[in-house]
Amino acid sequence: MYADKTAAKSQEYSDSIINTVREPLIVLDQDLRVVTVSRSFYEVFKVEPGDTVGQLIYDLGNKQWNIPKLRELLETILPQKTAFDNYVVEHDFTTIGRRIMLLNARQIQRVLGKKRIILLAIEDITERREIENGLEKTRKELEVIKKSADEASEFAESVINTVREPLISLDQDLRVVSVSRSFYEVFKVKPEETVGHLIYDLGNKQWDIPKLRELLETILPQKTTFDNYEVEHDFAGIGRRVMLLNARQIQRVLGKERTILLAIEDITERREIETGLEKAHEELKALAAELKRTARAKSEFLANMSHELRTPLNSINGFSEVLYDETFGPLNEKQKQYVNNVLTSGKHLLLLINQILDMAKVESGKMKLTLSDVSMKTLLNDISMLVADMVSKKKIEMQLEIAADLPNIQADELKVKEIIYNLVSNAVKFTPEGGKIGMRAKNIGSEIEVVVWDTGIGIAAENMGKIFEGFFRVDTPYSRVTEGTGLGLPLSKKLVELHGGKLSVESKGLNQGTLVRFTLPIISNSEDQNEKSPSG
Amino acid sequence: MKKVLVVDDNASNLMLEKDLLEVAGFEAFGAENAAGGIAIAMKEKPDIIIMDVRLPDMRGTDAARILRREKETSDIPIVFVTASVMAGGIEEIKNITNSGFIGKPINTRTFAKEISQFIK
Repeated sequence: MYADKTAAKSQEYSDSIINTVREPLIVLDQDLRVVTVSRSFYEVFKVEPGDTVGQLIYDLGNKQWNIPKLRELLETILPQKTAFDNYVVEHDFTTIGRRIMLLNARQIQRVLGKKRIILLAIEDITERREIENGLEKTRKELEVIKKSADEASEFAESVINTVREPLISLDQDLRVVSVSRSFYEVFKVKPEETVGHLIYDLGNKQWDIPKLRELLETILPQKTTFDNYEVEHDFAGIGRRVMLLNARQIQRVLGKERTILLAIEDITERREIETGLEKAHEELKALAAELKRTARAKSEFLANMSHELRTPLNSINGFSEVLYDETFGPLNEKQKQYVNNVLTSGKHLLLLINQILDMAKVESGKMKLTLSDVSMKTLLNDISMLVADMVSKKKIEMQLEIAADLPNIQADELKVKEIIYNLVSNAVKFTPEGGKIGMRAKNIGSEIEVVVWDTGIGIAAENMGKIFEGFFRVDTPYSRVTEGTGLGLPLSKKLVELHGGKLSVESKGLNQGTLVRFTLPIISNSEDQNEKSPSG
Repeated sequence: MKKVLVVDDNASNLMLEKDLLEVAGFEAFGAENAAGGIAIAMKEKPDIIIMDVRLPDMRGTDAARILRREKETSDIPIVFVTASVMAGGIEEIKNITNSGFIGKPINTRTFAKEISQFIK
């Protein structure tokens, strides 16, 4: 009875333990039928006491507890081991869904009676597992984040080292955290003298630059960024440099430290080029002004020269002409010959002056054409008569071939006359006695072509390029210094071109004769420019 | 006999032009500067005046303007005989009424005839 009482008391005690623990507990007899369950068991697994006690554990809650792993535990493992800890069973319950349970089992041999009972503690670790899984996931995510942060930092590092522009990062105390490779290269400093040092102390305190101090200590704390801050400094190692500084102040996310990123662009060369360009531009402007002045001075000089040379020539030519004409009395033959020589030289000098002035006018674009309807037939015949005397004196034969249908042209008659006269007198000059010269003219499309040819001394191939230079004259026994100016051919070419035509010279070589061919448009396409021509 | 006044600061040229005109039958007066020329023009009232442009005391064109303002000389034809044959020189004399232009050096064989043509 006492023992019974003790037993009953003990039973009561164990029941109260069973009901106090938060963990669902179930007590089975040796046939695996439920002897008792804890209150929390009902709560967790949503079963009623009437459907539970005395039932086979597998049949609980409409056989929901018929779990293969539970069977294995109860029927195979437990009979041999009497205890089992943390046996994980995952099962899909109809009422409460998928649960993960941790089973702890004890097989107890009851002292009174030989029956064994099984105590099964069921811990629902579904939530815990979920939390654990969540934690694991979070940890993995964190890992990914950390990895990408590392990658980002690595990327930033490689950017810093890749850019040509020197970069330097400083901590809030203005000590160097890291610098780009190019920084070392450009500023000729060593890594060990750089990282961890105050920026002002770099390279033997070369970086103690007042403007940099101003930027880092005054401007940056207020602005957080700064672009294109120009600093000029004389470095001991690399000389005077002009730098463009770009700064960013970055607040680190973790920790409250700020980092200053300073990009330094060396614009010394660029500035030099810019300055050079500006200087060159100024020089060019000065040069242009100078050229303008020179052109004006040249014009004035030519006008003055023309005037100053004509004034004495007026006397030389005038008096010798009057003497030659014997206006004030007869001369003897020698006197007449001499005064004629003076007159001829004077006229040559005048021709020279006129041609030089014409060349200058053409070259400065001031030569204007006075266009009119010109009969080329008449003009060519006039010239042939003009030179007839000169031609017959040298016993030269002159041939004239003018096409019957040669049209009139629009041209400056005086200039065209000058062109042809220059060419024909050259032909006479450079053709020995007994030779032939000739003029041909014909119509070719919208132009006329005039050819002046001779059988004279010709032009050596090496002199072909020089004949248009001016003052170039081939020295020959047939040409005397006084006979020409060397400007006739170049001036003729310019005058032809002014009309819109072309002039070319052909010669098979020395003593092979010369042929000058030029064209003039029938209808002038140059504007009608009326020059004020002197009257009288 | 027609009267001609030649104004030229170059003595040789002055002589040449005067001689050529005298040979052609003119009564020729000469002056080597504008002031002298103006004085003679006022006194002699020539039929024609030969005027150089670059003169020591003023330009021939300025002298011509003075002559145009004076009643006695306002109608006298003025022929500028000048070595300033370039565009600027010719432009300068354009505004003088009843005037002509002959460039230097002159043609001695035709000079007197050319001058005569300017006399009405």
